[in-house]
Amino acid sequence: MYSYTEYDRDFLKSRVAEFRDQTERRLSGELGEDEYKQLRLRNGLYLQRKAYMLRVAIPYGMLSSVQMRKLAHIARVYDKGYGHITTRQNIQFNWPELEQVPDILDELADVDMHAIQTSGNCIRNTTTDPLAGAVSDEVDDPRPWCELIRQWSTLHPEFNWLPRKFKIAVTGALSDRAAIQVHDIGLRLVRNEAGESGFEVLVGGGLGRTPHIGQCIRPFLPTQHLLTYLAAILRVYNLEGRRDNLYKARIKILVNALGIDAFREKVEQQWARSKDSDDTFSAEYLAALQAQFPAAPLLGKLQTTLELDNGSHEAPDQAFSNPLFNQWYQANTRPHRDSGRRIVYLSLKAPGTPAGDITAEQMDTVAELAERFSESEIRSTHEQNLVLAHVPVNDLFELWSALKNAGLATPNLGKLTDMIVCPGLDYCSLANAGTLDIHDQIYQRFDDLDYLHELGDISIKISGCMNACGHHHVGDIGILGVDKGGVEWYQLTIGGHAGNKAALGQRLGKAIAKSDLADAISELLKAYVALRAPEESFHDAVTRLGTAPFKEKVYATAA
Amino acid sequence: MPLLRNGHLVTDNPWIRLDDDNAATTQTVDAGQQDAPVLVSLRRFLELQAQATHNVSGVYLSPEDDVQLLADHLHRIQLIVISFPTYTDGRGYSQARMLREHFHFAGELRASGDVRPDQILFMARAGIDVFEFAEDPDEQQITQILSRFQVNYQPSYALPVAG
Repeated sequence: MYSYTEYDRDFLKSRVAEFRDQTERRLSGELGEDEYKQLRLRNGLYLQRKAYMLRVAIPYGMLSSVQMRKLAHIARVYDKGYGHITTRQNIQFNWPELEQVPDILDELADVDMHAIQTSGNCIRNTTTDPLAGAVSDEVDDPRPWCELIRQWSTLHPEFNWLPRKFKIAVTGALSDRAAIQVHDIGLRLVRNEAGESGFEVLVGGGLGRTPHIGQCIRPFLPTQHLLTYLAAILRVYNLEGRRDNLYKARIKILVNALGIDAFREKVEQQWARSKDSDDTFSAEYLAALQAQFPAAPLLGKLQTTLELDNGSHEAPDQAFSNPLFNQWYQANTRPHRDSGRRIVYLSLKAPGTPAGDITAEQMDTVAELAERFSESEIRSTHEQNLVLAHVPVNDLFELWSALKNAGLATPNLGKLTDMIVCPGLDYCSLANAGTLDIHDQIYQRFDDLDYLHELGDISIKISGCMNACGHHHVGDIGILGVDKGGVEWYQLTIGGHAGNKAALGQRLGKAIAKSDLADAISELLKAYVALRAPEESFHDAVTRLGTAPFKEKVYATAA
Repeated sequence: MPLLRNGHLVTDNPWIRLDDDNAATTQTVDAGQQDAPVLVSLRRFLELQAQATHNVSGVYLSPEDDVQLLADHLHRIQLIVISFPTYTDGRGYSQARMLREHFHFAGELRASGDVRPDQILFMARAGIDVFEFAEDPDEQQITQILSRFQVNYQPSYALPVAG
């Protein structure tokens, strides 16, 4: 993975010193809260319902074991012993003291980490495929490009005061595991007929109050133009995006107001002036970045076929006789492009813990296991789990045993209990309704692993308000918390999807009372099991049948 | 209002700003105040281009203004004032950068409005070289803010640090 140069370190030290100075001026009263707020947000510091929350950047989801140990240390010393992996591959600490935040940032800088631009109306952490560099369906490794975007977007002089936040996701694989169709800009590495490398550029996707699927602004952008083209899009947005209404300020609103063709014309006009001047980079610079992401040493045979990963996975090797191990292997591991290795997901969706939470002890364990079994690196996923991407097949049993002891081997990856859940009313000042207790309610009702495996892959995504941090629009089953006269209700959507077949879920019917939610989900699942064709996914079943048969079942019982 | 120029606070500001609803012609202003250069809005400046003689050499922009309209006239302009109605409104950064990088404007780019010490680093890096403050800022603090970063990830303009 990318290792910092002295240049990066000098920069980061200056940034921490700047924030320390700003925080001291705030504490002395010299700086008002309104002004300080904008400065702290750009360093990842939110004020939540009960305390400050610090969102630390995990650039494109890549962490070294050394960095993971530092996160454990921070959780222990400055927080209550845990952290929370977010849907944008970052990690949040929920209980830091304001006075200590500059010290935390200093500690993070010691291991080349920061919280720059993890909030505020600026370019956020760039996210990508958590399996980058390890899968056979990859056209090109997206991570050098993500690092290039990270550097370019960090304290960019022009784009730090945008109308609203701005999120970029990149994928290099045929199967989209980065949800690029629901980002402000989605980038897909492609090859043209001449075999040259380029990006398909999508713009204007996003969830929130007004969800949109991104539209193609350019089917093929030669890679050397990436930054100038991004800058042209950002400039049109910065100049013309709405600033009068917080809820209409994202780029998706501008793109849809103008229409994609008129928006494209504006971008192309800007780009014609800037494509060879500002924000360019050299081929040598990119090559140096690419050299920082070497392949893991080959242990078996290299699988090079570029085929879409359609979600089906081969049966476990007969040599493994332990049924619990087999269940985990099937659910939580995926083929590596090196037949001698396996990709292993660490489920942060164990029973009785909030989705995405990880304790300091678990962080230390993960760091140690990454060193022993996976090239000392760890990835975070937008589904709020972790990945050890390069585990030698022969070490799988040993790894599983260790993960099991640490509570990180729940065999539910992609299954119903692998829910995406925003922090909701318990932490967040924006939330209308609780999400953690909803998660627990569903988890407890559906804790029978055999039933979960019989259901197959199915996603539940829960948001506590329409800002949609829990991505409910793109869940097979989406749950949105709403407030009705001080009472928490939940609106269900079905048929959403975040991958290649990206789609927004359709509203099932009127909102459901908190106490009836697990029953409603149960009826939905019964309808699915009864109606599905062999091997048919929940999403495909809803696409084929519409919402009516599901609606009938849910509301017949609830009424 | 105090201006920060080349790292120093100065009060010397000869420019007269003529609002659009001010009926005075540019000629009468010039006649009344010898040598006082005049600033007008983009709209008024473009209208003046139709006149054979005028010596307006300053333009003040609002965030909505399209700087591309100035492209053919920049050789006549010494000063462009970029307005920040609130410090969170970032349109001025794009205006500045387009003027410098696309149209190679070499005159003075001045930030005006809600200009705060913690913002001027970004403004300077986008090509703005003079800063108009509503009240006297702490000069030492300004120097510290402008000289803190020795490196940046993007090409930037020289910072107006004293010395």
